[in-house]
Amino acid sequence: MTTPTGISPVTGHYVTIEVEGSQYRVFYLENGTGQPLVCQHTAGCHNHQWMGLLEDSEITDNYRVIAYDLARHGKSDPPLNSEWWKEEYLLTADHYVAFITAFCDALGLEEPIFMGSSFGGNVALQLALRHPDRFKAVIPVEAADHSPGFFLDWWQHPQANAAQVCASGVWDLMAPQSPESDRRRTWFYYTQGSEAFRGDLYFYSVDHDLRGRCGEIDTSRCPVVMLTGEYDYLTTPDDGRRTAEQIPGAEFIEMSEIGHFPMSENYPRFAGYLKQALDLIARRTGAEEAAAPRPRTPSAPVGGR
Amino acid sequence: MTEFRRLSDSDPEIQAHGKYFSCSFLWDMEEKKFLVRMHRGRIEELIVDPGPLEDYDFAVRAGADTWREFGRQTPAPMFHGIWAASFQRDMRLEGNLLVLMQNLRCVTRQIELLRATGPLV
Repeated sequence: MTTPTGISPVTGHYVTIEVEGSQYRVFYLENGTGQPLVCQHTAGCHNHQWMGLLEDSEITDNYRVIAYDLARHGKSDPPLNSEWWKEEYLLTADHYVAFITAFCDALGLEEPIFMGSSFGGNVALQLALRHPDRFKAVIPVEAADHSPGFFLDWWQHPQANAAQVCASGVWDLMAPQSPESDRRRTWFYYTQGSEAFRGDLYFYSVDHDLRGRCGEIDTSRCPVVMLTGEYDYLTTPDDGRRTAEQIPGAEFIEMSEIGHFPMSENYPRFAGYLKQALDLIARRTGAEEAAAPRPRTPSAPVGGR
Repeated sequence: MTEFRRLSDSDPEIQAHGKYFSCSFLWDMEEKKFLVRMHRGRIEELIVDPGPLEDYDFAVRAGADTWREFGRQTPAPMFHGIWAASFQRDMRLEGNLLVLMQNLRCVTRQIELLRATGPLV
């Protein structure tokens, strides 16, 4: 919620982190206190997708919501200390996982819950598999064990308008019931990230492949609650359900009348499902009492629980 | 089709962004075909069931039932866009797809006008 003067309680910060020998200046937005909830935007997008959540006091009273821009997205730069322009950008699972854990380490977050949508949902599954003790739980949104078909060259065809191709190419990933103004805003975000979109989708559709490995995810150490919208044509509810069924102890919730960008195309509708997911995690981790609001001053350490 | 032409030629989004929206495409709806020739954002020609010598840049083809669902005001999941229906249903995109990509914003808007006119088949 904004103040009567129109000033949002959401604040922005930069942090410089080192990942696999490269330095990255990362921009993140945050609001709230309590259990850290780290949020990853979708491919070719940025953290404004999470503004509805960041300003939802029903959540931020108990959760410290942190939404960052992945390097090369939004206000986060490409690597500071390498000649990145001499290489094709192709996001790998190894790098993506290392980036997220380095970011959480830099902020001193202890046992954050990680939530991401689309390629952020897929990396949530990777985190649960690789770092089950680093994250309290994960909420993969619009995620699957494998999501082929979207690593395409025509996202950057020089004879087409990449900004409009990327934005209009994902337009009908959203549900027709979602508010038009929110769908248009999500479309607008997608006009801004077209240069990174194709490289992001290398992870989404190629390097991320957990077929046959989902059974290795230990939900007793890192609970998994998956959410998928019924209008998502890329990662359909059947894909999400199939994936969850392979993860012992995972939960799956199908979201009606919503698509691939739940947090920005229709946050009020998504919020109901998210609260279900957070309640499930609190019950699984015995964290109901611990989730009570705690005071934190701006100068206090930024640690988690 | 008269209503579709009126809606397209007066649509604020197409008219605001369609300065270079000049191409031709076929909507193959199984029971009927519609050839739309666009010139700078306006429908120059609209032909029902065009003959074999009428050329066009690209075609969007699907069965009549798919188009009927597509044209509902609130279509069911996977019938709600050309990409959704191509990935998950029987819709096919054929021809010079680069032209489709070059005009994707306006085509996407225009095809959704079918939800205002109702299914054409």
